Amino acid sequence: MKFLKNRAVLITILLFFVAIQLYSLNIREKKSQNFIAGLVLTVTYYPQKFIYLISDKVMNSWQDYMDLVNVRQENIKLKEDIRKLRIEKFELAEAGIQNKRLKKLLDFKEIPSSPIVSANVIGGSPSLLRLEVIIVDRGSSDGISRGMPVASLDGIVGKVLTVGESSSEILLLTDPVSAIDAFVHRTRVRGIVKGSGEGCTMEYIEQNSDISVGDKIISSGKEGFFPKGVIIGTVTEIETKGSFLSAKVSPLVDLDSLEEVVIILKSNNIVLNE
Amino acid sequence: MNKYLSIIFLILISVVFITIQTTLLSPKNLGYYYPDLNLILIVYLGIYSEIRGGFFLALGNGYLMDVLSGNLPGIFTLSRLSAYFLVRSGSNHVYLRRVLVQGLVIFLATIFTWIFIITIITIKKGDIADMTVKAVLIQAMVNALVGIPIFWMINRVNARFQK
Repeated sequence: MKFLKNRAVLITILLFFVAIQLYSLNIREKKSQNFIAGLVLTVTYYPQKFIYLISDKVMNSWQDYMDLVNVRQENIKLKEDIRKLRIEKFELAEAGIQNKRLKKLLDFKEIPSSPIVSANVIGGSPSLLRLEVIIVDRGSSDGISRGMPVASLDGIVGKVLTVGESSSEILLLTDPVSAIDAFVHRTRVRGIVKGSGEGCTMEYIEQNSDISVGDKIISSGKEGFFPKGVIIGTVTEIETKGSFLSAKVSPLVDLDSLEEVVIILKSNNIVLNE
Repeated sequence: MNKYLSIIFLILISVVFITIQTTLLSPKNLGYYYPDLNLILIVYLGIYSEIRGGFFLALGNGYLMDVLSGNLPGIFTLSRLSAYFLVRSGSNHVYLRRVLVQGLVIFLATIFTWIFIITIITIKKGDIADMTVKAVLIQAMVNALVGIPIFWMINRVNARFQK
């Protein structure tokens, strides 16, 4: 026990027990963010933004060069896409008019859609321990606050975890802490989508529910956090877990190569008139 | 005056290292093969730093890791502070300024910090993500290889402030 007389060893043991206590305290959900965490984000924002701008410039130049190589074939493909989109646009306009008319008939009240702020991803987690964190170049000065939902063009990305003056940390939906109330788009079967590191799992689905591989999962908006109807991902596997079903969900957004996201400043909902 | 310049230099290096680690060398892009510049700097402080502020720099660097890794509850702050104390204590008893020994110290410090973190998370039944023995060993090896030229570089720059 001679080594215990060493001051560094004693300090290490002490710090180990302090760390256990701090970790226990943190398991109970923290409601607020401390001031120093915001300060750290603010201090690291400028160098991160600087590196982002330089790497973005380099990547763009390279991309411009690569684009030139296949420009002719791409042009033909784009023209074809435009033709298809025009047809789709016409059909959507028709559906929109019909939708408005039906809502009026059913006496639906629509709350105007929420304002959004677009943001660039300027960094990621510095540690292997928690990879499901990204840093974006928008902060409290842009109206961002803790807990706001974050999405991309393809679907849900996560929520705002820590806010600095000009940057914020986003916790991705694949993080084990993340949980979203959701349902199956096709059948409206409900469940909770939880992060599992590499992907997500939809849990607490009632046995005998109509769910199958390939179904799209969308947010229900019931927890009042994510807007209703935003796509989360696709079911890839279904298994029985106790008295419930559990489905593996592959997020539609490629969370490993995110470049831009939108932060929703307030949830939007469609509610029935009382 | 030189002492203050040295502290400012080490603070700047801390910010630069954490910035590089969250952008160009983020584990999100490199997987297990990312060099943990933040830990390398803490080992450097343990071996070389003559200043009293070494403790606060180690504390601050650990805290940077905690905040930028999703606001973790001091797990990096305390594990890295422990690593700093152990290296500092070791440098009082063993000559740690040989290149190969430094590589070994970085290797062991990486393994120590991960054991510290994984033990706490396992006790509290938390999620240790993809951390396996293989991942820890790869990380330790990469840190040792990258750490040696970084030590040389910091020493070269720091020596200018001592003149």
